[in-house]
Amino acid sequence: MASTLCRVIQFHTHHFFSSPAVLFRRNKAGMMYCTMKSTQSPDATRELKMPQAKVAPDNYRKLDKVTEGFEAVIGLETHVQLNTVTKAFCSCPYSYGSQPNTNICPVCMGLPGALPVLNAKVIECAVKLGLALNCKLAFASKFDRKQYFYPDLPKGYQISQFDIPIATGGYIDVDLPLEFGGGHRRFGITRAHMEEDAGKLLHTGNSSFSQVDLNRAGVPLLEIVSEPDMRTGVEAAEYAAEIQRLVRYLGISNGNMQEGSLRCDVNVSVRPIGQLEFGTKVEVKNLNAFSAIGRAVDYEISRQSLLYSKGQGDEVVQETRLWDEGSQKTVTMRKKEGLADYRYFPEPDLPEVILTEGYVEKIRQSLPEIPEAKRRRYEEMGLGMQDVLFLANDISVANFFDTTVAKGVDVKLAANWIMGDIAAYMKDEKVSIGEIKLTPDELAELIKSIKDGTISGKIGKEILFELIAKGGTVKGLIKEKDLVQITDAGEIEKMVDQVISENPKQVEQYRGGRTKLQGFFAGQVMKMSKGKANPAILNSILLEKLNSSS
Amino acid sequence: MNNLLIPSSTALRVGTRALLRLSSTSAANSNRIWIGRSAFRTQSPARIRKLTRDFCSRSVPDVRRLAETARITLTPEEIEEVGPKIQQVLDWFGQLQAVDLENVEPAIRADTEGDNLRDDVPEVFENREAIIAAIPSYEEPYIKVPKVLNKE
Ligand SMILES: [Zn+2]
Repeated sequence: MASTLCRVIQFHTHHFFSSPAVLFRRNKAGMMYCTMKSTQSPDATRELKMPQAKVAPDNYRKLDKVTEGFEAVIGLETHVQLNTVTKAFCSCPYSYGSQPNTNICPVCMGLPGALPVLNAKVIECAVKLGLALNCKLAFASKFDRKQYFYPDLPKGYQISQFDIPIATGGYIDVDLPLEFGGGHRRFGITRAHMEEDAGKLLHTGNSSFSQVDLNRAGVPLLEIVSEPDMRTGVEAAEYAAEIQRLVRYLGISNGNMQEGSLRCDVNVSVRPIGQLEFGTKVEVKNLNAFSAIGRAVDYEISRQSLLYSKGQGDEVVQETRLWDEGSQKTVTMRKKEGLADYRYFPEPDLPEVILTEGYVEKIRQSLPEIPEAKRRRYEEMGLGMQDVLFLANDISVANFFDTTVAKGVDVKLAANWIMGDIAAYMKDEKVSIGEIKLTPDELAELIKSIKDGTISGKIGKEILFELIAKGGTVKGLIKEKDLVQITDAGEIEKMVDQVISENPKQVEQYRGGRTKLQGFFAGQVMKMSKGKANPAILNSILLEKLNSSS
Repeated sequence: MNNLLIPSSTALRVGTRALLRLSSTSAANSNRIWIGRSAFRTQSPARIRKLTRDFCSRSVPDVRRLAETARITLTPEEIEEVGPKIQQVLDWFGQLQAVDLENVEPAIRADTEGDNLRDDVPEVFENREAIIAAIPSYEEPYIKVPKVLNKE
């Protein structure tokens, strides 16, 4: 149930800041398509209750004044939880939401004598991500122990990769949301490495105890460290959104922020424009939504800029701050006294991780089209940027679109149907595109049937909802319901005559100058034909009759 | 705590762990020295030998600080007792450092014989009850620990 809901909400992840505005626009055939410009973020449940949290362009103008003369330098550390069946170093199955402390064994509990054995799938995921991030791969890398004490870490150390990560020096391309001016950006990737997750620590009420659930201890993660290439909250948020898109396209993680499968920590520093060295770096945690990333970064930029401009630069200290969703502010969590000493050393219980050219090549061949490539391809197909961003945002939507278009139907029409009525239905019914009964084949058939005049656009729309909700085929429905469009002018003329004779008062008004009543007559005829009359023929006959007999 | 008190499978591991604790007692760069030979890659062999010699010669183990880093409490008597033992481990490593490695290519790991990987196939550990029974403070379904709010 929870997963269904999440998938739904995720489908609507178009961009992080957004209003659930629904735009209507009229296409050539005169049919109404409803198009979602953008909907709420995947983590919107919270935001929806807080409309004040939206960052409007106004806020940006306000921000501009404070930050004038300053430049922000932003980098992200992202943890991606892999969707392997088992943990990284033991065979315990892991699934989110299991009974606490049930997926445990001596290895992930850190019991003496237990030895880790690496899950081969973790390497595969790391190589996929490394390649997709355009990184250089280390053909021999190793694991290290990162020592710290915390109740969620049974062994007293985390198995991670320190000085030889599996992937280094790559980049990721993003398209900024149109509502923030759009534009293409390339952000550097410093490194990506494999490591294990810790358990979950729950602090309940005022009790002097905390609760620990070690199901998550030992679950594989990939940590992705970006170069400090971002300059605004929008860029930081879109970078994170692109990482989510990428891991979902690659199929290595569900990228779900609410479940903690995608966690972002952001480093923000501010310096006067022109200064070469970086300002003091502040780390912001507790960012549970892309919109929170954007707002937290912008808050930090203005907070730090303000302090610098007031000559209180020494109050910007190296620290970890938490984003507080309620007050829309960052608050001090802990000041850093020197760098934490994790006393890294090579993990003696694990051999080095060796990649071969053949192995890497095989994975390279199997990589799916990544989001950036898909967007550029959609652009080349002639779609507008709004359509491109919407369709490429969710891999299952993109696949649906690709399969529909592969049937030879018009690209723009397919995009309109998916972004319009189908997206609206999914939103209303809270289902994902994989859960609707309509198949891409039948959508293609529907578009063709309208184009070749077999059915009217109006009927097409009616069938669509039936196909979505109940399934079936377009051909079957047309036959079963006798929906073939009436193009016989004689038959339509009869209906027009009948409607005119049954509504003498309206005819009088029309002829007296209320020509808008044409719509009323057309509607009556359409009703009489059960929506099957060809609209163009209907209108031309109707106009002729209404205007001539006066 | 387990790390220090429970004997590891090999003497080498004991040694590594002891050194690990020690590294935190010395200057900041000792942390880099002891992360493994891979960290030496950018250093010249002569420089490495000098760094390690410096490390081994200067260290008189500060057991109190070590205990703090490992989050264990030692009595003054225990401190007395442990100090010379740790010094002994250090001396062994001092001897190892004397080996001439001028013409040896740095290795990431000592044991590089083949992969030891596992397929992603789940296997439920059967004696979960025993693990749970051994937890000092357990309140179904959670492990109960003193409240800690800040890392580090
Ligand atoms: Zn386990």
